[in-house]
Amino acid sequence: MMPLWIFLISLALLAVGAGITAITYKLRNICSWIAFATVSTSSIGIIYTAVEIFVHGPIVTMDPLLRIPGLGASLMISMDALSALFLVIIAVVCVCSTLYSIRYMSHYREESLLRYYPFLLLFALGMIGVVCVSDMLFFFVFWEIMTLTSYILVVYERGKETNLRAGFLYFLMTHVGLVCMFAATFLLYARVGSFSFQALGDAMGMLATQNTGLLHLVLALFFIGFATKAAAIPFGLWLPEAHPVAPSSVSAILSGVMIKLGVYAILRVFVMMLPSSHFWYTWGEIIAIFGVVSLVIGSLAALAQDDSKRLIAFSSIGQTGYILLAVGIGITFLRVSPALATVAFLAALYHLTNDAAFKALLFLNAGATIYRTGTRDLNKMGGLGTLMPITATTGLVACLSVAGIPPFSGFSSKWLIFQSSLIGGIDMPLYLFFGVIALFISVVTLAYALKYMNASFLGKSHSEVNRSLITEVPVTMKIPQIILAVICFGLGVLPIMVLKLLYPAFKCLLPAGYLPDFTSLFGTGLAGVNLSFGGSISGMWNPLWLLIGTGFCFCLGYCVFKFASAGGSRVRVAETWYGGREHAPGEVQYASSSFYMAFKQYFALRVKGINFEGLYPKSVPLPRMTMPQPLRAVLDIDRWLYYPFAAGFLKLSRWFSRVHVGIPQIYILWVIIGVIVAIIVLFALPAG
Amino acid sequence: MTFAIGIGLLNLFIVLGLSPLFEGVARKLRAMVHSRIGPPLIQPYYDLLKLLGKEDIQSSSNYLARLAPWVCFTAVATAALFVPLGTGQAPFGAFGDAIVFVYIMALAAAALMLTAAVSENPFASVGVSREMMLQLTVEPVLVVAFVVAAINAHSFGMGDMVTWYRFHGLSISMSIVTIVLFLALQAQVGKLPFDIAEAESEIAGGLFIEQSGPKYALLRWAMMAKQIIFASIFAQVFIPWPKTGNLAWDILIHLAKVLGLVIVIGLIDAVNPRLRIDQAIKYYLTLVFFSLGGIAFAIIGA
Repeated sequence: MMPLWIFLISLALLAVGAGITAITYKLRNICSWIAFATVSTSSIGIIYTAVEIFVHGPIVTMDPLLRIPGLGASLMISMDALSALFLVIIAVVCVCSTLYSIRYMSHYREESLLRYYPFLLLFALGMIGVVCVSDMLFFFVFWEIMTLTSYILVVYERGKETNLRAGFLYFLMTHVGLVCMFAATFLLYARVGSFSFQALGDAMGMLATQNTGLLHLVLALFFIGFATKAAAIPFGLWLPEAHPVAPSSVSAILSGVMIKLGVYAILRVFVMMLPSSHFWYTWGEIIAIFGVVSLVIGSLAALAQDDSKRLIAFSSIGQTGYILLAVGIGITFLRVSPALATVAFLAALYHLTNDAAFKALLFLNAGATIYRTGTRDLNKMGGLGTLMPITATTGLVACLSVAGIPPFSGFSSKWLIFQSSLIGGIDMPLYLFFGVIALFISVVTLAYALKYMNASFLGKSHSEVNRSLITEVPVTMKIPQIILAVICFGLGVLPIMVLKLLYPAFKCLLPAGYLPDFTSLFGTGLAGVNLSFGGSISGMWNPLWLLIGTGFCFCLGYCVFKFASAGGSRVRVAETWYGGREHAPGEVQYASSSFYMAFKQYFALRVKGINFEGLYPKSVPLPRMTMPQPLRAVLDIDRWLYYPFAAGFLKLSRWFSRVHVGIPQIYILWVIIGVIVAIIVLFALPAG
Repeated sequence: MTFAIGIGLLNLFIVLGLSPLFEGVARKLRAMVHSRIGPPLIQPYYDLLKLLGKEDIQSSSNYLARLAPWVCFTAVATAALFVPLGTGQAPFGAFGDAIVFVYIMALAAAALMLTAAVSENPFASVGVSREMMLQLTVEPVLVVAFVVAAINAHSFGMGDMVTWYRFHGLSISMSIVTIVLFLALQAQVGKLPFDIAEAESEIAGGLFIEQSGPKYALLRWAMMAKQIIFASIFAQVFIPWPKTGNLAWDILIHLAKVLGLVIVIGLIDAVNPRLRIDQAIKYYLTLVFFSLGGIAFAIIGA
């Protein structure tokens, strides 16, 4: 029971930390360090718990911490290996983000920290809560804590109208999603009268045989709810608006962790709760289709962006698409080919882990450039690489990872996704098509990653960039980036180790013995993956040998060069050559918007007056807060209470002021009348 | 193990050691088309040596400017280890399949583009943008070709694809992608009419404008090696015949096939004008659609 207590203490610490930061918010520095200390301490506890789960199996509370007998709901802490995986991701990204915030938040001098740290800590608490409960009602409670706190963090800079509207869109869409999830849950709850995952799963089992239409409805509602959070197109419209306006440290958590919880919920409902049936087949396909749509539109739209954080936000949609594609393939084949399904699910979990690392890193990286240049416009940056070498390097690592360049992390997971979709495609040609699209979009990923890299760190600085003022970011902003960059590299080099860790995380969702053995799928290698789907090996990938080969080739080339150039040639530093022309500084900058112009044209269209760039509308009309007329009238207290009252009072006073005529005799007359009235009243009153 | 090491060294020798010679052949050919005498066959070796001794003029102090050309060169050399050259088995075939190969080449391309982008030259940026657009449209062709081969062979290993194709004999799906891949070869090796990213006469060498001395030698060498690698894949995976069983003969036949391809590439290069980037994109997107037909045939097993 020891790990459970440590876990609960960690959670309590977060809550207490939220309280303390709420008190000390005026001391900006101290408040930031308290928040960091709290988050890092509780993260140690949470990671310890996760390790404990990986080593000794699930942690489940014997007695519910809280019981609502009337509803059949009880708060049980129940953590299996899948929860543990998410706990690790949450802990690492939150620690990095809080450390980063310490200096980054000085960017927002005018805004109060009262609206930042307490909510950041509660946000972390909400996310941890979501992955550690086994009861739908409390799942929603934590889900809602997560949504509300993240909403407050998104609209942190509340002075700007665009921020508020983007935040409102986020609020609106996630709550529509929540309503869908609630509806789905209550449809199931009505059958079993309990909110536990187990009971709801049984209800699904009953529906699968009795009322298939209703089960489809339930699954559709669940999917809409989770896909809204996971930001799959078209449910993820909030994401490209909300991410750029949130502080970068928050975007890192939103994109790195929070949207992944949508995938977590999909795994819980569609794999663990939904019993084995033909529903897997249908819904796997649907999820894969949404995945492909998201990865195509997200990535192509990212190509067309000139706002650094918006570009990364679209990249998030694209990578979620990859994850959902793999999840969809996995669910489709779960019944007919558990081997293929396992590979697909592990690919999804692997990509999810990688994406958490490099997406968080990219947002922190973009935040660092914003911190120094004060702009998100990629057209107005450029050439920061020599001024901010560490930031540029971590940015490069993130870009190569997201583009899936071996041996960085994105490659190993994408490789598994391609393998599973193409091998799955032999049985289902649809997935073959999806696999080819995914491979093509992977090049688009490289294109937008390079565009981000070029536009912010390489090339010529924009004339508005004051190069003499820009230096490397402070050390507390560098360390989180370095940590995440190392993780990005580390996750890619030893894929078999990562897969071994992920295998139990997926295995725990299904009955024991359902999935094939790990070594039968991925081979017995210590570093490399030899993929086989029952029979011959169909794909191989061994990053260690790639590195050995690369090292050998490098040495070979280096020796040849040193030998042939007989001691090396002289180095001279010279000005850039502009074709021999005199130029003004602004003339020779290649703007970010000029990149891939000819290619982007193929995906730019105009439908009904809305411009589409990269198949995504250039500007989504943000919702304005409008309410039905009667409700607005009721809420408008001024109008029905204050204004009539004030107007009446004014009228009364005016009438009364007529008395004031300025003739003393009339005043005396009034006094006499008053005295008479008083006497009459006094006589009229009964004595005693 | 010793066999694998031997083949590995042989691959490196063919791809790195012989590629300037093939380039020399192409240049000689080009001169003949132009009614010139042309440089001697081993001129590219002289060029590389000469460049090595030249001054290294740096316009950027960024460490990437020094590192990226090496990454590009090393990646191309490493890619050679994942390709079967005449022997039917790649030396590193057990450590990486066709997808890994495609991505190592993507690393080489990314390194080349970073080399160019790190300079402040706008011509280089234009070159990067064009190179990336070419990659975007050309790479799907190669990928689809590999996917078709993989569906047929039920494996992504290049060795397995060669084995399957030799055993199975000609098939419709493979023929379609072979033709499509042949039409894409010109852009993969960066020759006319698709040397749009270099385009000496418009953007003054584009990607390479700021390169000089040893680093330029590295990049040039990498480009020559890349030509041999792509020609080899075409000659080995998509036309795996004839096979004699004798290692030496197989390798010689392979080299002869590669030489033939280099001559064809060189001829097309010599007689064609450069296309604009939008024309090239249109051309390749059309090719991608045709190659999807290959997948359709592969699914039905033809």
